[in-house]
Amino acid sequence: MTASFGRIWAIALNTFREAARLRVVYGFAVVVVLANLFAIVLGRLSVHEDTRIAQDVGLGAISLVGSLTAIFLGLFLLYTEVQRRTIHAIVSKPIERWEFVVGKYTGMALVLTLLVALFALAMVLLLLQQGVGVSMPVVEGIVLAWIEVLVVAAIAIFFSSFSTPFLSAIFALALWALGRVTPDIEAAARDGAPALKVTARIALELVPDLHLFSPSGRIVDGVATSIHTDFVSWGYVATASLHGLGWIVALLAVACLVFQRRDFV
Amino acid sequence: MAPAIDVRDLRKNFLTPFRRRKVEALRGVTFDVARGEIFGFVGPNGAGKTTLIRTLMGLIYPSSGTATILGHAIPSRAARFRVGFLPESPYFYDYLTVGELLDLAGRLFGIAAAERKKRADALIDRVGLGRARNQSLKKFSKGMLQRAGLAQALMNDPELVVLDEPMSGLDPIGRKEVRDLILELRDQGKTVFFSSHILTDVEAIADRIAIIARGQLQAQGSPSELVKRTAIGVDVTVRAVATADDALAAIATGTSHVRRAGDVLTLMLPADADVDTWLARARELDAKVVSVAPRHETLEDLFLREIANADASSAATEGRA
Repeated sequence: MTASFGRIWAIALNTFREAARLRVVYGFAVVVVLANLFAIVLGRLSVHEDTRIAQDVGLGAISLVGSLTAIFLGLFLLYTEVQRRTIHAIVSKPIERWEFVVGKYTGMALVLTLLVALFALAMVLLLLQQGVGVSMPVVEGIVLAWIEVLVVAAIAIFFSSFSTPFLSAIFALALWALGRVTPDIEAAARDGAPALKVTARIALELVPDLHLFSPSGRIVDGVATSIHTDFVSWGYVATASLHGLGWIVALLAVACLVFQRRDFV
Repeated sequence: MAPAIDVRDLRKNFLTPFRRRKVEALRGVTFDVARGEIFGFVGPNGAGKTTLIRTLMGLIYPSSGTATILGHAIPSRAARFRVGFLPESPYFYDYLTVGELLDLAGRLFGIAAAERKKRADALIDRVGLGRARNQSLKKFSKGMLQRAGLAQALMNDPELVVLDEPMSGLDPIGRKEVRDLILELRDQGKTVFFSSHILTDVEAIADRIAIIARGQLQAQGSPSELVKRTAIGVDVTVRAVATADDALAAIATGTSHVRRAGDVLTLMLPADADVDTWLARARELDAKVVSVAPRHETLEDLFLREIANADASSAATEGRA
């Protein structure tokens, strides 16, 4: 078990190093900084809504840009290993293929965690600039966005284990978009036409409920939640995180099974 | 003790992407590699050399047949602990230095940090990359990458070393260094299995050779078993004073492999030719004999013959189909 961890960690560190040299990752970071600067401008244009805008834009940027970064890294880092044949010198060594996939994911998760921390720091600096402290709902919102990003990374790895980057990008973006509108799919499953009901029910089984990670504006346990007033409890955050963890494990398990059967020609 | 490599009726079929047509990359390959020997695997491009090596190393799965490495059925993680592998035209993470590449390899073998550093330093010097120690692999030439690949293949001090085209991309000095390294590995008791299409390199160092073409083994054995030591002809070089075409044609009558460079003709007489009579006739046509030497079969002759046989056999099979 320790040896297995050592091999996974070796791949994770190498993946972290590889991701850290991708300029596009820094491009995503710049977008988040610009989004926060844009929030300052929007805040000035608003009537006493500076803080609300800073929090909404900050959390939105973490969720949106973090997810896009996760999709890009998930598609790029695994596919290029096979395409450039760097994987030949790795899987010919005494490493199991599942260890390789888990190592790649762990490395990506490290990079994404660092990015989310940077994005969060940018938002916190913006809030401090406005003379507002960091509230507990904001911390909870950041944690939920972080888990969402990690789930999206697992979705990208899953598709990348058997498909080309172009198709994987389409599949991953589609699943991410569907995951964000699960309340609408639930409504269709409840109130739609018979055929739509069946389709919506199947979709609900296959699509991770990413909307769980952005509960602001939803009714949770009969109570309207908002990042600005009454937000979810830490119990909710823990439950949503477990839900996300379940999806991550399931997606990686299938990716490992697919990867195990592949020929590396 | 089990052979280092034992391959029995190994087959690998691929399906083309859209039409799903079956392509037979390996068609019932059987051979074994004894421990402690250098085994050269030769064949033209597309013969199935790399497919076989990738199958042995667990990169692709065989369609049927069996193979063992150091007594373990493939794909085997236990065997991979004891095997070093250099892929064809090795691609490595180009942002790493050679030291970092070897460190990564060492981690995957579970080698302790201090030992990894010691082995990496020794191997970098051994393959002649000491001066490029701190350069990223991105700046390496093809030959330097090949050396880095050899170093990572030896990081675990393997019992069996599998090298896919190890001389590819190297200059003559580099090729000699790799040949010397392979011989040195054998002297240390290791088994070396390598593929190449540079026949002189294979002939120079291999204890045994297998020739593969169109996914099938055409011949295998030691160089002395494979290459006939009896003369297959007589090479003659003459200086022809007469330059008229009909005079030259008369000199070349009954010969083969005729080459002309100025007034010098090089040609080959059949092995059973009456050389004295032919030389006398050549002199009558004002030709001066420069040299006469028996020609023995080379590995290249054998290789070309086996490839031609494989092509003819394949064409006949396709014709019947």
